[in-house]
Amino acid sequence: MARYAMVIDTRKCIGCHSCTVACKVHNELPVEMIYNPVTTVGPTGVYPDVQMVHIPLLCMHCDNPPCVDGCPTCASQRREKDGIVFVEDSKCVGCLACVMACPYGARYKNHATGAVQKCDFCKDRVDIGLKPHCVNTCHQKARIFGDLDDETSDVHKLVNGENACRLLGELGTDPYVFYIYGLEVKNP
Amino acid sequence: MSKNIDITQAGVEVKKSACYFCHQNCGVLAYVKDGKVLKIEGDPEFPTNQGGLCCRGNIALQHLDHPARINYPLKRVGKRGEGKWEQIPWDQAMKEIGSKLLQIRSEFGAEAVATAGGTQRTDDWSRRRFMNLFGSPNGFHNSHLCWIPTFMVETAIYGWCPFELDMGSSRCLILWGQNPGAAGMPEMHHIRELQEKGMKLIVIDPRFSETAAKADLWLPLRPGSDLALALAWIHVIIFEGLYDQEFVANCCEGFGELADHVENFTPEWAAELTWLTPEQIRAGAYMYAMNKPGNIQWGTSVDQIGKPAGSTMHARAILRALTGNLDAPGSDLLTGPSPDFLTDEEMEANDQLPEEQKAKQIGSDRFKLVTWPGYSKIAEQTRKVWGKAPTAEWMCEAHPPSVFRSILSGKPYQVKALLVSATNPINSYGETSLVLDALKAVDFMVTCDYWMTPTAALSDYVIPIAGALERPTITSSYGCSDFLLASQRAIQPMYERRNDYNFWRDLGCAMGQQEMWPWATVEEAYYAKIAPLGYDIESYDEFVERYRFHFPEREYFKYQRQGFATPSGKVELYSTVLKDLGYPPLPPYIGPTENEIDDPELAKEFPLVLTTGGGFMPYHHSEHFQIKEVRFLRHEPYMDINPATAAELSIEDGDWVWIETKRGRIKQKANLTQGIHPRVIYTQRGWWYPERSMAAPELGGCLESNTNVLTTTADDHCDPYSGSWANRGLLCRVYKVNASDMEGK
Repeated sequence: MARYAMVIDTRKCIGCHSCTVACKVHNELPVEMIYNPVTTVGPTGVYPDVQMVHIPLLCMHCDNPPCVDGCPTCASQRREKDGIVFVEDSKCVGCLACVMACPYGARYKNHATGAVQKCDFCKDRVDIGLKPHCVNTCHQKARIFGDLDDETSDVHKLVNGENACRLLGELGTDPYVFYIYGLEVKNP
Repeated sequence: MSKNIDITQAGVEVKKSACYFCHQNCGVLAYVKDGKVLKIEGDPEFPTNQGGLCCRGNIALQHLDHPARINYPLKRVGKRGEGKWEQIPWDQAMKEIGSKLLQIRSEFGAEAVATAGGTQRTDDWSRRRFMNLFGSPNGFHNSHLCWIPTFMVETAIYGWCPFELDMGSSRCLILWGQNPGAAGMPEMHHIRELQEKGMKLIVIDPRFSETAAKADLWLPLRPGSDLALALAWIHVIIFEGLYDQEFVANCCEGFGELADHVENFTPEWAAELTWLTPEQIRAGAYMYAMNKPGNIQWGTSVDQIGKPAGSTMHARAILRALTGNLDAPGSDLLTGPSPDFLTDEEMEANDQLPEEQKAKQIGSDRFKLVTWPGYSKIAEQTRKVWGKAPTAEWMCEAHPPSVFRSILSGKPYQVKALLVSATNPINSYGETSLVLDALKAVDFMVTCDYWMTPTAALSDYVIPIAGALERPTITSSYGCSDFLLASQRAIQPMYERRNDYNFWRDLGCAMGQQEMWPWATVEEAYYAKIAPLGYDIESYDEFVERYRFHFPEREYFKYQRQGFATPSGKVELYSTVLKDLGYPPLPPYIGPTENEIDDPELAKEFPLVLTTGGGFMPYHHSEHFQIKEVRFLRHEPYMDINPATAAELSIEDGDWVWIETKRGRIKQKANLTQGIHPRVIYTQRGWWYPERSMAAPELGGCLESNTNVLTTTADDHCDPYSGSWANRGLLCRVYKVNASDMEGK
């Protein structure tokens, strides 16, 4: 058993979109489908006292995924063995209930197939011991992937040692994508 | 193409290839079966990218067999620019082009043939070899905008360019007009790691760039005012006693003259010129001088400021010397050329070009530093100490704007043929109206490219070139490093594409140069280059597979053993090389190419300050607009404008606006950002629209958003030392595009 998680260290992210493109190209996604857009916030403030942060987004692989609860055909599923949330294409009827249920806007309809698709942490790669494409391609090592249950893993150390936070944590979705902000945040 | 590809299946080979979409040349692993690339990924073992790939690196397979690629030699059958082509065999193309060039040489002399290049992603020693054997001194690149003037000024001052940064133990890094956060991903990664260990980062950039956002000190100076900042830093470092007294006393010439020279260049003086405060200026000088060892990373910006460029490079070079940050651990290293492998210069056959032909090099009468007069003088010094000279291709070239003007004016003589390789001058050289007129007027033009660019569309022949995955690559900093990284081709070139090496060689052989081209393939030539290293290998590919790179053992303080490669053997703060060439021996203050102080009348008409040319993801220069897998990120061109300025001009975020200089106007969309001074405008470079008609006059909309319509190459706007022209520090105005003139220029 494992619990896969991703930590995104925004202190390192430079907003280059390499992850966005790597994901699209290697997963052969249609141009309009973007599993992991990078949002740039800023520059905020007034010139020259400004700041800028880049926030890569993706499926949060929630422990309480509303998309799974909202799926009428059981196409949206959460893998018991490692927590990865994915869509079983053959069961999806494209009703978009999951798209509406997801508070992170991380699901997209594929207009060619009619099915809903999303980031699945590259589960086929993960199953053979590889990392997701977005993690491998990141020059800045801003995306860290691993088993949160493994106390020796980098994700475990970062989530427990840094000021890691979750998006929309108040909704109780219990996401397994964590964000680290701020240059000043160091190990306590 | 790569989803769920089983790379463990029988018959899959892993090739150690390289990305070729910028000159970082990140290591790539290519999984190949039956001559087809199944999948690519970043090579985790490669020392620079360590497995990472940027947007461009990831689209290698989309680039490889893109439907818009040129796959066979094309010969023009309609009128110039009409877009009618005949597909012909490679050998026929070489024969026909060769006989045309021979005819031009016999009628007008070899110098009537020129060649234009782009950035360093070609085997340019072979271009030089061809031109030397043919007899023309008129090869050039837009490398005038990219490091080459810097290299030559620094080599004049201390005998080589200290481009190798020993950053592992550095305590302070200055990025001077460089933005690795958008243009050098591996470098950015290393910088961030070193910052975590305590290294200070100073970013000098008018824009709050991806990199500036991570800096300890961001200095947003007025574009083109770098020289005032550098002189004020010299002033602070000398008069506040922050210089390295031992290094200056033992190793430098001209300190007294320099101190007198900068006496009045105070931070208060520079503040008005740079739009920084005296406190900001001092803070930068303190941070660099008091955190030793430190580094100044080269960036293109100073090469692109035109008139004050050479003096700025000189002043910047002096900063390194004053602080003793030269060839010491953690500082900028004077590695010199490799004593072990054959350098590019040794492959160029420069001895084959007769002296009388060297004298005909266009521009060498005015811009002496990167033409034969300055190159010969500097090469003589480096040969004495290092035994070798800098690469002549790049460091010794015709002056590009003067070549374009010679096509139109016939002065000093008329260039009749232009061989264009790996560049699209209409978008990438300065002052587009001049370039476009010249390309339309030149008698004979051949373009080697991947795509039908606006320039290719005006050619008589278009030659298909092998790209990433189809070519071996040696990475060695324009042939001037003492190390090299080697990569192999994943597959042989598809269709009838060839390496640019094969173009120059085959063209040379078609004109009787066979004896001088002993290497049938690039790999054979590369093997000849690396064989002297003495590895137990029998081929180039074997070197790549077993070793991949060669880093010699590092030796610090080499000057203690051999001196500096200058006439005095010391660092010449007061430069006798520059003086002998007719330039000031100490860096004089020169204002930005266009500025409100020297030309207030112009500033009334054009009240804003323009900077252009900064790289941005996912494009590289004028490339990749065809590839939808990256184009979706930035579908249209954007210019940066401060919201306060935009409000005054009734411009809203996303509006199309005109940006206009004395040279012309272009359209880009407004990006309102607090990351830029209210009086500064930044435009994106490179833009054209391959989705539009490529026939003349449309030529892919090459004038509409092309920032080089705005830049200037007038002789008195160019750097007098090197002839580099001005992309930055120009005066402009901005106004909204009306609905009625959305079409056209």
